[in-house]
Amino acid sequence: MRSRTGPIILAVVLFAAAAACDSGTSKQASAPASTQAGEHTEHQGGVAPAATPKELAAQLQQYFAVHTLLALRHTRSVLTANPAYREAADHELEEYTGELAEIVGGAYGDAEGDRFEQVWEKTTADVGAYADAVAGKDAAAKEQARAALLADADAYGSWLAAASDGRADADRATADLRTHVRQLMDQADAYAGRDYDRAYRIERDAYEHMFAAGTSLAKASATAKEAATLDTPTEKLRAAFAMLLGEHMQLIIDTQRATFAGAPEFEAAAAQVNANTTALTQGMGALVGPRKAAEFQSAWAEHVEGLLDYSTAVAGNDQAEKAVARERMRGYGARLALYLSDIVRNELPLEPITQALGAHDQHLVDQIDAYAAKRFDEAQELEVDGYGQMLGVANTLVGAIQRTVKPQLPVGGSQTGGGGTARRR
Amino acid sequence: MTPRRGRLAAGLAALVLAAGCSAASAGRGDEPPEAAATTAPAAAGGVDAARGFRSTRGYRATPVPVRIEIPRIGVASRLDRLGRAPDRTVEVPSRWEVAGWYAPGTRPGDPGSAVILGHVDSKRGPAVFFRLRELRRGDEIVVVRADGSSVRFAVERTEQYDKQRFPTDAVYYPTLTPALRLVTCGGEFDATAGHYRSNVIVFASLRP
Repeated sequence: MRSRTGPIILAVVLFAAAAACDSGTSKQASAPASTQAGEHTEHQGGVAPAATPKELAAQLQQYFAVHTLLALRHTRSVLTANPAYREAADHELEEYTGELAEIVGGAYGDAEGDRFEQVWEKTTADVGAYADAVAGKDAAAKEQARAALLADADAYGSWLAAASDGRADADRATADLRTHVRQLMDQADAYAGRDYDRAYRIERDAYEHMFAAGTSLAKASATAKEAATLDTPTEKLRAAFAMLLGEHMQLIIDTQRATFAGAPEFEAAAAQVNANTTALTQGMGALVGPRKAAEFQSAWAEHVEGLLDYSTAVAGNDQAEKAVARERMRGYGARLALYLSDIVRNELPLEPITQALGAHDQHLVDQIDAYAAKRFDEAQELEVDGYGQMLGVANTLVGAIQRTVKPQLPVGGSQTGGGGTARRR
Repeated sequence: MTPRRGRLAAGLAALVLAAGCSAASAGRGDEPPEAAATTAPAAAGGVDAARGFRSTRGYRATPVPVRIEIPRIGVASRLDRLGRAPDRTVEVPSRWEVAGWYAPGTRPGDPGSAVILGHVDSKRGPAVFFRLRELRRGDEIVVVRADGSSVRFAVERTEQYDKQRFPTDAVYYPTLTPALRLVTCGGEFDATAGHYRSNVIVFASLRP
């Protein structure tokens, strides 16, 4: 595997960056060396390579999950006959597909990356064809697109089995991608039928499915020993929290944008935000216990409501309400940062956490401003950038939580035998 | 392969910095740019619904476990609460015939690995988890909670580990998947120390 840097490194950079901001100046010239390295890599025009299977998994989880959401949003732009939004979604999908293929090429070799790109571009195009067919109520075209998508899944399975030298099972990989394309089709059907509850439920399922598929793709590129590092409890916990926090970001965006739609769509999207909050709270309970989990839920609820208050003000074009919402968000962010700093017990100082949460809020504020102003390209870019930033926050926070949790675990085995009777039987 | 812009994974560090710093240094009290004249019209229904939105609250902790039943091996025991001993090892039940739940850990049914321990024997004979090693894949474990509700688990596997190589992470480490671990002693008995050299661990997952 080539040397890579990736989201895990970015997570470190995130807090280094926040610390740099905090160190008293607003001058970006004072950015740490690691950040400058990031900029340098960007100028070279390539996706930074992952150095370890864990970094590769984090990248593929991110790219598969976000590609899925971009495809869903593209479908909705078609179904709502919004050509400007569609153009932005098309553009973002194209670039994201290219970057995903580059990551795959880094893991499997450039030739396999190119073959993957062909499969993925065709799949993406066929998702678009399905959306067009649904929008046009063209049953024949719909069936044609469905058949093409199922064939794309077969092609993916064959590609992965060959690219991985048999480490991945073709049938299993095909089944994974068939699930994916069926979810995308079902979402389109549900959305077109105005069954928004179902459409947004499928969205969460599809996102989570492809996040996990990213892990599978990373494993298939690795030796058994390397792949085992992705099955450790620590790595599974990191991935699970990254998935949920990234999902939070995306569902907030859905719900912000749904403020511009009718009540049924907003309520369906908001219900999934609440489902994500419940899952996050339960997850926090696993780390910090039920009392602290309840505190988390309360602080998180304010964070969520602050973001949606802002988007409501934007949708209502109410400048005064926007200002009030932003002020409240600052207070909510400070409280949430204080909570997170408390549970990680000095593993991370308060200020960088506050800065990171502020950056998260800023992405969401900026993206809904851009969306409202019909600057859809900018809104889409803020979406994917904000998602990456959120994963950075997630990885760093979970790392700090893990360092806090580990010393509290019992040491060694248990003395749960007293007499040797069991041995003698 | 065509050149990529590398905007995300590669360049995200710079973006994160920019976003973080702009939030801090550009004055977070600054208003965002005014929406252009082409602001998208909002559907009144969506705005009204958004004004009524409330994030979910009222998290209620899962009731603590009070009883364990394992029909396959005839176990039916109430559960004591266990903690961590001063030497950082896990506490064990004070009575041979009663199992105990590791209370600082997960409550059964919540995300994470709930851990229940029981003795395999005493100097006088079998104890509550004497037959634990007999459990096989698919066997059912029922945990009853303080409110009378119950949660069911299915055995995935039963394994024995030398205590010197106890799989702490696999047993205690947080996970977001609800799971159950049952722990007792097994292997060779060290008569000098008065302890077994190994632990038998049952790994179980939530039964749908």
